[in-house]
Amino acid sequence: MKLTLRAMLFISMGTALTLSHGITSAETFKWAGTSDPQTMDPHANNSAPVLGFLNNVYEGLVRRNKAMKIEPALAESWEQLGADGWRFNLRTDVTFHDGSAFTADDVLFSYERASSEESDVRSWFSPVESVVVVDEHTIDFLTIAPNPLFPDSIANFMIMDKDWATANEAMRPSSEAENFATRNANGTGAFTLASRDPGVKTTLKPYEGWWDTLESNITEAVYTPIGESATGMAALLSGEIDFISPIPLQDVPRMKQRAGFKVHEGVEARVLMFGFAHQIDELKFSDDVSGKNPFQDVRVRQAAYQAVNVDALIDKVMRGNAQPAAQLVSDAMKGYSEANAERLAYDPEAAKQLMKDAGYADGFSFGLQCPNDRYINDESICKAAASMFAKVGLNAKLTAMPVRNYWPELREDNFDMYLLGWSPGTFDAEHPIRFLASTPNEEKKLGSWNFGGYSNARIDELLPMIQTELDDDKRQAMIDETTKLMQQDVAYIPMYVQPLIWASKDNIELTQRTDNFFILRWVTIQ
Amino acid sequence: MLSFIIRRLLQSLFVMLAVSLIAFSLFRFVGDPIAQMVGQETSIEDQENIRERLGLNDPMPTQYARFVGNLAKGEFGFSYRTRQPVNELILSRLPATLELGAVSLFISLIVGIPAGIYTALKRGFLSNALLVTTLVGISIPTFVIGIFLIYTFGVALGWLPTFGRGETVQLGWWQTNFLTLSGWKALILPGITLGVYQLTLTMRLVRAEMQEVLKTDYIKFATARGINYRSLYLHHAFRNTLVPVITIIGLQLGGIIAFSIVTESVFQWPGMGLLFLDSIRYVDIPVMSVYLVLIALIFVMINLIVDLAYFAIDPRVRHRGGDD
Repeated sequence: MKLTLRAMLFISMGTALTLSHGITSAETFKWAGTSDPQTMDPHANNSAPVLGFLNNVYEGLVRRNKAMKIEPALAESWEQLGADGWRFNLRTDVTFHDGSAFTADDVLFSYERASSEESDVRSWFSPVESVVVVDEHTIDFLTIAPNPLFPDSIANFMIMDKDWATANEAMRPSSEAENFATRNANGTGAFTLASRDPGVKTTLKPYEGWWDTLESNITEAVYTPIGESATGMAALLSGEIDFISPIPLQDVPRMKQRAGFKVHEGVEARVLMFGFAHQIDELKFSDDVSGKNPFQDVRVRQAAYQAVNVDALIDKVMRGNAQPAAQLVSDAMKGYSEANAERLAYDPEAAKQLMKDAGYADGFSFGLQCPNDRYINDESICKAAASMFAKVGLNAKLTAMPVRNYWPELREDNFDMYLLGWSPGTFDAEHPIRFLASTPNEEKKLGSWNFGGYSNARIDELLPMIQTELDDDKRQAMIDETTKLMQQDVAYIPMYVQPLIWASKDNIELTQRTDNFFILRWVTIQ
Repeated sequence: MLSFIIRRLLQSLFVMLAVSLIAFSLFRFVGDPIAQMVGQETSIEDQENIRERLGLNDPMPTQYARFVGNLAKGEFGFSYRTRQPVNELILSRLPATLELGAVSLFISLIVGIPAGIYTALKRGFLSNALLVTTLVGISIPTFVIGIFLIYTFGVALGWLPTFGRGETVQLGWWQTNFLTLSGWKALILPGITLGVYQLTLTMRLVRAEMQEVLKTDYIKFATARGINYRSLYLHHAFRNTLVPVITIIGLQLGGIIAFSIVTESVFQWPGMGLLFLDSIRYVDIPVMSVYLVLIALIFVMINLIVDLAYFAIDPRVRHRGGDD
């Protein structure tokens, strides 16, 4: 006992010394975001707030580095088993936060949990036929068809301890009622969940037994959701929090000027676009066109495309904080088509000519649906675009609504044109092709967000080939072809890549990743 | 008296049923809960399964009957958003709202009543200044007052916290602000923000009632009898203004609890109002419905208490034997 006391004294002296030198010290990091992660269960909700938060606590077999590239995490290496699937060689020195060892059984259990009926992430495992434990630290994921992208697609598949889940009766994700894993966590990640008060405060602490070396000098991290952006800004300015994400665009210049604070600007993976009602035979909201759907004519779609001055939208509405986009993925994504990087020029004269050629010289009216709380300045973007459309005779009748009403409205086909933002979960160009460009097919789970019902037989044919092609060059050629087809068809009007705007005190160093995940282990306090 | 209370409790049951029925018929316009519960990659088939499991495909009357039936059995359901039991979720947020409500009520009374008496008795600069400032206070939206206070006292002066409850102490299930300094500090700004409206109302009501009472004959006689002014104003006059003041304050307390939503959201105060706001955003129907029923209950109970308070204060009501 005496010895421990002495040891403690020694340690505290040591801490005091380092404190005065400012090298490493007890650093509490307080941060805020607009919403609270709904759950601490990594398989219960496939959304960025939940997965982003839990990336600090749980880990996958692989993880993404600062540049979004896949790197080893719980698996130290992996190899392709020909066309059959993938073999993962697991780390042997990993323990969960409760001290129990990490083995292939935990991976198998997590697979079963994450692919179960109750799981919200089961779509990741639709290509998987079976999972076989080879030995304690080797596991095979056998796929139905060759799957070159599989390791990339499971970067957010987080591993849970089998014994812990079993002992606490959290063998399946909570679907209706909560279970133990909803408010407790036992991962292998760099931080442990120290306390959780949903919607109020969540505290994380570094995990002493983490297998990797921690870059961060945080000793405690406290997360508070602050819904009101003005309150969040005040909290940052008063010094009560160290970091907040996101901040409103209009506050950016003010924050940049303010001493002691800085703004972190980056691009998100999300591309904002307008979509058309391709399938319907008659516009739903038009006053002057009946019995036909002008948007079925590619010339009208191209006119709409060329009527939008994306540079002006970025400059005025987004206050210069966005990057123009010509396709449905940003250039940071795998499979980005270099060959199709050019946007069609903004050209209202050409647009008018196209309208004339299509037989709508006098223009027509249509319904434009838009969310007002989903994307940055979404309603303003729609308003600005509507006035640009009007100049070539496309008279948009704008309806903006909260996102909780928006998706049901789109699912009911209540639109002639709509705004959509898409961030590919796999960070690969295949993702938007599967969800936004494939002909909708419920059985095959294709085109589930292709509200307008865009359909191109060649793209439907290319998608399975893209999904199974092992050769990178051949695969890219097919993605290039798909991208080109979508541009020729003017399937969507891709506009810009949404920015990430975060703010912090001056002494915070951090890394912004394009998936908008906030990774604590890269945060250091100077 | 007893029959009066029982009658009131029965009435309150009907009020709650009516409120929940109206709420339920409005929920389908709030949006689709499923889209908020799942990620973008979840298949439509899986979404439909969840909808079916939650009984959202049933006709509205069926859903309503099930809700009332479950309530009667003491089952409050689970939040769609956090999956926590709704009663637990609401109970965990209740203390924050009640404490904030109590503080703002206290502020409004401790300032409002003396100010009301003062402005009724004295004319002059201070009196006018009080009347004008409070009028400005209620003309500005709560949100703006809150932000103004936050930026003045939180950011510019740095005296008080800008958001949250500060440090709290757990007493059983009740989380209290009253036992720590940081908890008290955190209460000041939201307490004022929420209390401004009540303060003005109380002050103006007390003032008007006092002016009214001071004109009555018995005060004139009392003055003629040479009773000292202090006793005259506070004992004879002020007591007679209390009945309407208590009614209004009582009803206002219900309002404070029910409509603390704006204040709670500006100050990120983790009470029921903030919970309700989050629930609307996520179309968390179980939480919204129980919250609304609870608010109806609180209103009804407060009315009941106000009526009972009449018995204590006003002898005329007492003599009628509680037959209102």
